[in-house]
Amino acid sequence: MNLAGLRADQAPPISAPLRFFLTAPLFAIFAGFLIFISDPSSLMSRFSPETIAITHAITIGFLGFTMLGAMTQMLPVLAGVKIYKVKFVSLFSYTLLVIGLIFMLFGLYFSKHTMSALGVISLSIGFLTLLLPMISALRSVDNFSSTVKAIAVSIGFALMSVVLGAILLSAYATGSFSSMHTILANIHSVWAIFGFAGILIIGVAFQVLPMFYVAPRFKQFCKKRVVLFISSGLILWALANLFFVGYAILAKIWIGLFFWAFSTTVWIKLNRRRRPISDVTVWYWRASAIYMTLGLFAWVIDSAVEDKYIVIVSVLIGGGFILSIMSGMLYKIIPFLVWFHLNAKGYMNIPTMSEMIDKKFAKIQFILYQISIIGFIFSYPYPDLLQYSVLVFVLSMIILEYNIINPVLIYVRTIRTKPDFDMSSFNMEPNS
Amino acid sequence: MSTIKEYLTNDHRRCDEIFASMEDAASNSLEDAKSITQEFIDASEHHFQMEERVMFAEFEQKTGMTEGPTAMMRQEHTQMRSLMKQLMDSLEAGDKDRFFGSSETLMILLQQHNMKEEQMLYTMAQQHLSADSDRIIAMMDSLIVE
Repeated sequence: MNLAGLRADQAPPISAPLRFFLTAPLFAIFAGFLIFISDPSSLMSRFSPETIAITHAITIGFLGFTMLGAMTQMLPVLAGVKIYKVKFVSLFSYTLLVIGLIFMLFGLYFSKHTMSALGVISLSIGFLTLLLPMISALRSVDNFSSTVKAIAVSIGFALMSVVLGAILLSAYATGSFSSMHTILANIHSVWAIFGFAGILIIGVAFQVLPMFYVAPRFKQFCKKRVVLFISSGLILWALANLFFVGYAILAKIWIGLFFWAFSTTVWIKLNRRRRPISDVTVWYWRASAIYMTLGLFAWVIDSAVEDKYIVIVSVLIGGGFILSIMSGMLYKIIPFLVWFHLNAKGYMNIPTMSEMIDKKFAKIQFILYQISIIGFIFSYPYPDLLQYSVLVFVLSMIILEYNIINPVLIYVRTIRTKPDFDMSSFNMEPNS
Repeated sequence: MSTIKEYLTNDHRRCDEIFASMEDAASNSLEDAKSITQEFIDASEHHFQMEERVMFAEFEQKTGMTEGPTAMMRQEHTQMRSLMKQLMDSLEAGDKDRFFGSSETLMILLQQHNMKEEQMLYTMAQQHLSADSDRIIAMMDSLIVE
C-alpha cells in the first residue's frame, strides 16, 4: 500500500500548484489583449492563426495551467501516489510551458515560423515532463476510485491532445499542411475539451460536490460507467471522422447526452445540497451547468450548418463551462492550501479560508465574467460589442488575479513571522 | 460484525450528518446552533479518540510505524480540534461570518482527512488488523471519551 498522500513531507510543496494557478489569469488577460488588437472578422473563423493563438492562450494558459496545478495537488490526496521529484518536475514543466506558450502565441499571431517551432519543442517537453511522471505514479495506485479512474483517463486524453497539438503546430512552423490537418485539428480540440478537461471535471465533481457542499452523492451507475461511455464516445467520434464521416453526428449526440446529463445532475445536486451557504463557487457551478447545456445543443445543431457557429460553441463550452468551474475551484483551493500549509507549520492565528478573499470582489468578478461571456456570444451577430466585452473580460481576470493573489500574500507575510507553535522543535536536525 | 474500515467510515458519515445539521441550524440562528455544535464536537472527539487510543495504537504496535501515517492523522486531528474551538468561540461571540469561515475550513480539512483515512489508512489497517477486527471494534464501541 502506497502512503505518499498521508505523509506531509511527500505532499507537494505549496509552490507547485500555486505557481500554475497564479499564472492562469495572466494568460487570460493576455488573450483579452490579443482579442482587443485583432480584427473581429478574423476571429469569426476557427482556423485563422489569430483565433488559434487566442484560443490557446485560454486553453493552455488558463485551463491547462489550472488543471496541471490541481493535479499535482490532487494525485497525492485522492490517489495516494507520489509524483516523482514533484518539486523539480513541476518547476521545470512550468518554465517550459510558459516559454513554449509565449513562443506559440507570438509565432502564430505574427506568423513567425521559428517561434512556432520553438513553441512546439518547448510545449511538448513541458507537458510530457509533468504528464509522464503522473502516468507513472498512477501505475502504483492500489485502490482505483471512480475519481482516480477519471483522472487517469483524462491524463490519457491530455497526452493524445498534446501529441496531436504538436503535429498541428509543426504544420504552422514548417508551412506544410497535410490533407488530414482539419480532421486532426477537430480530434485534437474535441479530445482536449471533452476528454482532458471534461472527464477531469466530472471525476473531480464526484468528490467535490458531496465534499464541499454536502450535496447528495453521485449514483454508483454514474460513477462507474459515465467516464467509460464518454471516452468510448470520444474514440468512436474520432474514428467516424476519419473513416465514416456520415456517422460522426451519432457519436457527437452520444457524447453530448452524457455531458448534458452531467450538467443537469450538477444543477439538481446543488439544489439538494445540505450546506446552506451560497457563495461565488456555487454560482460558478450553476452558471457552468447552464452554459454547458446551451453549448452542447449548439454543438450538435451546428453540425447541420457545417460548423459555422463553432466559435460560439467554443465560447459556451470553453469559457462558459470549463473556465467557470476552474475559476470557482481557484476560489476554494487556494485559500485552503494557504490555510493548510500555514496551520501545519504551526501558525494558529491565521484568517479562515473565507476571510482570505474579499466576498464583494469575488461577486464583482463573477458578475463581470458573466457579462463578458454573454457579450462574446452576442458579438457574433453584433461585432461592435466585441471591444466592450473584451474589456469587461480583462477586468474580470484582473480582479480574479487580485482575489487569488491575496491569500498567497497572506501566506508570504505570515511565513516571515514566528509560528505560534514552533514545529521546528520536532526536527532534530541542526540549522534546519 | 462489520470491518474496522466499515465501522470507522460509517462513523465519518454520522459526523458529516451532524455537521450539516449544525450549519443548517447556524444559518437560522447562532443561539439555536449551540447544542448541535456541541454535539458535533463531541461526536468528532469520540471518533478521534477511537482512532488515537484504540485503532492507531493497535496499528502502530502491529506495524511498528509510529512516525508514519498515524502521526500525520494525529496532527490533522489537532488542526481540527483548534478549528472546533474557533467554532465555539465564534458562537459565544455571536460572530456569524467567523463561524461560517471556520466551518468551511473545517469542512474541507475534514473531508480530505476522511478521504485519506478511508482510501488508504483504513484499508491498510484492515489488512494488518483483520484477525483482531472484532476485538478492536468492541474496544472502540465501548470507549469513554477522556
